[in-house]
Amino acid sequence: MAKILVVDDSSTVRDEVAGFLKNSGLDVATAVDGKDGLARLKADPGIRLVISDVNMPNMDGLTMVEKIRGELGNAGVNVIMLTTESSPSMKERGKAAGIRGWIVKPFKGDAVLESLRKLAA
Amino acid sequence: MNSPGERALRDRLVSKVLVLDDGGEHQETIKRFCDENGLVALKVRKNRLMSVLRSNIDLGAILYAERYGADAEENAEIALRIHTVRPELPIILRRETAADLDGVNERLRRVVCAAYTAHDTAALRRAIDEYIFSEVYPNALVRGISEISENVLAGQFPNLTVRWETPYLVRDRVIFGEVFSLIPLESGWCRGYMMLQTEERPLLDLLGAPADGSAPGFRAVNSLLGEITNLIWGAFKNRYVGDGAPDARIQVPLVVNHRQRYISFGCENPQLCFLYRLGDDADGSGFRLYQRFVFNLGWSPEAFREIAHDADEMVASGELELF
Repeated sequence: MAKILVVDDSSTVRDEVAGFLKNSGLDVATAVDGKDGLARLKADPGIRLVISDVNMPNMDGLTMVEKIRGELGNAGVNVIMLTTESSPSMKERGKAAGIRGWIVKPFKGDAVLESLRKLAA
Repeated sequence: MNSPGERALRDRLVSKVLVLDDGGEHQETIKRFCDENGLVALKVRKNRLMSVLRSNIDLGAILYAERYGADAEENAEIALRIHTVRPELPIILRRETAADLDGVNERLRRVVCAAYTAHDTAALRRAIDEYIFSEVYPNALVRGISEISENVLAGQFPNLTVRWETPYLVRDRVIFGEVFSLIPLESGWCRGYMMLQTEERPLLDLLGAPADGSAPGFRAVNSLLGEITNLIWGAFKNRYVGDGAPDARIQVPLVVNHRQRYISFGCENPQLCFLYRLGDDADGSGFRLYQRFVFNLGWSPEAFREIAHDADEMVASGELELF
């Protein structure tokens, strides 16, 4: 089964999102910030979708995406940002880095589950 | 959800003042002044004054009568004690005859900021404008912050009802509860911080036991408060800052749990710590100073460099550098 990586520095959000996805029958891994997310993605080629916060310590989500595409050369993994941010400039930066979608928090799992399934397939 | 009337109330900021004034004949004047000028007057018994000042009542000022104490010495003594406990609170003195500080006991004069009389409340009005209502907070901003926060809280606690009090201005610097978060607000029109302050125990009770059966820990409280902070901060930015921030940088909430003597910068990074001991060799007195560095938002030691200066360009600390 394709795996989803949830990257968020807040354990409240990680538990909420990962718990929802697991209860929906999906295989989920978690990471605590962009640096951790990058390491997990490097170690696990089974990850097909990354759902990531933007504002995180150590490495923010957009920098992580840029490194996924650049340093890791991984163009195949889909990345969705789940964040409180909604500024056009941040979204533009995300698009330029190759993200596939943007969700403004709070996370409403039922509304996006089918889209996430497709992106993780 | 608050009623439209309560919503309208939020458009007017108020402030709480502690009225230490036993002059019965002036009570009505002071009360009317407070009602007309956005002040919530609080009274306290003399024997509870210090404990009240040490508690969280979010005061804006003290209205203090010249004859509150039994005599001039006791009056000055009480004012000095108030000033010692709450130096940030302006003490506004009600005098009997003239709205100035002429002839006021020297010790008392050092801690009061203004004077008024019951017959001349214009001086009191000037004092509260100067010391309490000194900043303009647009109604749309005050109302919007309440709306944003209510939505976030309702989303995080769907089984609880969210109510709010009329927003108010405080000058005291007391931290409420045991846990608080802090996040910078940066824009073209404001630079500062938002703080959320709360109690640990009620939140622990609300969180309940984790699915694995373990006891909920204070870190879960920290995390929840951090996420609420993040959500409100994000909504604030989206509504009031947009792309107009001069230098939109990544931020994460800092969470301080002073009950647990714990501060979180949002990561588990070890901190670089220095301990300095300063002592008087003669009598052994001294103190310790801890200095810690945490680079939680970015750390690239490979790019570290020391900026080289020509010796001629160096200017010693404290010297005037002319251009």
